[in-house]
Amino acid sequence: MGGCALLVAAMVLTTVVISRGGQESLRLARERLGADVVVVPRGSVTGVEGALLLGNATNTYMPRGVVDEVRAVSGVAQASPQLYLTSMANSSCCSVSLMFMFAFDPVTDFTIAPWLAENLGRDLQIGQAVGGSDVFVPQGDEKIKLYGYEFDLVANLERTGTNLDQTLFMTYPTANAMQEISQTEAKMALPVLTDTVSSVLVKVDEGTDRSQVAAAIGEAVPEVDAVPSVQMFSSYGDQISGVLRTLIVIVVLTVILSLTLMGVIFWMSVNERSRQIGVLRALGATQRYVLLAYMTEAGLLALAGGLAGVVLATVVVYFFHDLLVSALGFTILLPSALSLVLLVVVGLLVALAVAAAAAFVPALRASRQEPAVAMRE
Amino acid sequence: MTTVSLRGVGKAYGDKGAATFAALRDVDLDIEAGDYLIITGRSGCGKTTLLNIAAGLAIPTSGTVKVDGVDLWGISDAERSNLRNRNMGFVFQFPSLMPGLTLEQNVTLPLEFSDAGPADGVERARELLELVGLGHRAGALPRELSAGQQQRVVVARALINQPTLLLADEPSSDLDEDTEAEIMAIFRRIHEERGLTIMMATHARNLIPFGTRHLEMADGTVSPESPSAAPTPAP
Repeated sequence: MGGCALLVAAMVLTTVVISRGGQESLRLARERLGADVVVVPRGSVTGVEGALLLGNATNTYMPRGVVDEVRAVSGVAQASPQLYLTSMANSSCCSVSLMFMFAFDPVTDFTIAPWLAENLGRDLQIGQAVGGSDVFVPQGDEKIKLYGYEFDLVANLERTGTNLDQTLFMTYPTANAMQEISQTEAKMALPVLTDTVSSVLVKVDEGTDRSQVAAAIGEAVPEVDAVPSVQMFSSYGDQISGVLRTLIVIVVLTVILSLTLMGVIFWMSVNERSRQIGVLRALGATQRYVLLAYMTEAGLLALAGGLAGVVLATVVVYFFHDLLVSALGFTILLPSALSLVLLVVVGLLVALAVAAAAAFVPALRASRQEPAVAMRE
Repeated sequence: MTTVSLRGVGKAYGDKGAATFAALRDVDLDIEAGDYLIITGRSGCGKTTLLNIAAGLAIPTSGTVKVDGVDLWGISDAERSNLRNRNMGFVFQFPSLMPGLTLEQNVTLPLEFSDAGPADGVERARELLELVGLGHRAGALPRELSAGQQQRVVVARALINQPTLLLADEPSSDLDEDTEAEIMAIFRRIHEERGLTIMMATHARNLIPFGTRHLEMADGTVSPESPSAAPTPAP
């Protein structure tokens, strides 16, 4: 009985954490992009999505001239280039491992610069960078050293649960300076990328349809794909929906199976103690007392099993988070402590409800049985 | 004063439409306050059913059952349970102590279902355990006792609410002769000292002299009462 409750609570909690965490992660990633339309080299949408979400290495570059072409399209209010620098997963170049780097144009940028102005009250200078939530200065150092170049980490952004949390944001001039230093100071030099961009972030004129502007960009600049930001990561959204559907089927099957199993187990347990119930009824226990006693017993068993289940699920999603992300193929933003408490309560309530539903019929039957018959069975 | 009154009571087992078995047939019986009634008969003759019907533990198929003037099946389950709790004590043939409770907790168990609450009965439970000769084992668990000792604890439990009616169904059938004598001695003592009304079903005819009245049952019916059921010539 407790084992069934464990399974139900664990499945419910895991499903909600994975589905909500996945969706929330995508929403924050779209928000972090801060653009209405994202323009990338033709055929590289999936690669860019994978780089932004999961940190997959990508080498997507297009000529800087594309920025002016995009800017010239009707309905485009602002266009600003971003450059994705080499992901350094498993490299020995730097003082921090597994990091992605974004360079932005401080003159035209409309996504990071406003945040900096609001939170720092100033622009980023050369040699300064802003990090995702997981970027930190290594213990014992004062700066982050990348390709022989030392950065001041001046701020950290809010967590998204995506690769953006491990990304370092810097200006183009800083990226250029790093590239120059890397030629002499780094074991592995950065390629010259001064005149290239990885993506162009577009803000459309107010009241203009984003999809129409994206289509217009696609027509005007044939070597790019323009995607409305709401459609960015849509393949990951589909993947989350698919996994969610599977998980819901598993949860429903688990609940049905647990309901049946708990009902049978409780029925047998009640039958085994039939004589005791008869004795209690003879001593003065009312039908209501017997019903409540059995429902309380079922509730306590479900609570014990459910607690073990939510602990197990929490351990799995927190301690095996990276394994889950890698297995599922999308990022999961783990819930805050308060959300986790609420989800734990939901998991326990579902386990309690299933146990109560399973125990009700046997408990009711036991309570209404003629005491003389109960003592004879 | 009549403690138990049965009028035209019948009890049949079996589903509607299917073959039924009549355990009791049209029984009329009055048990007066202070009676010590011994009911004898062969297995399956309806002794246990008669006790269960008198206690409100089984629903009669026909007729009326009154205890202390109250129609048992004209009141709610809660009222009937309360009446059982306050007015009746039970000694069963089978082991009926709760295995996880100590002797003292078992004896005070009926108080769980009364207004008094178990805390009020601890003193009385100890007195009753003394009465049945087990005062020194109050903290023991039932499995630590012999069958006879357990049955003595059941008697103590039956008396915790100071009932007016004690119903005993084959209370000594699983016991050896010496232990049976001990149990019967306790019954006689509480009948004499407390004036308790006792209904006892047994197949052992040698116990008939313990009662003040005797009924013989056969095939769900009660035989005309023998006037010779003399007052307690105890062996």
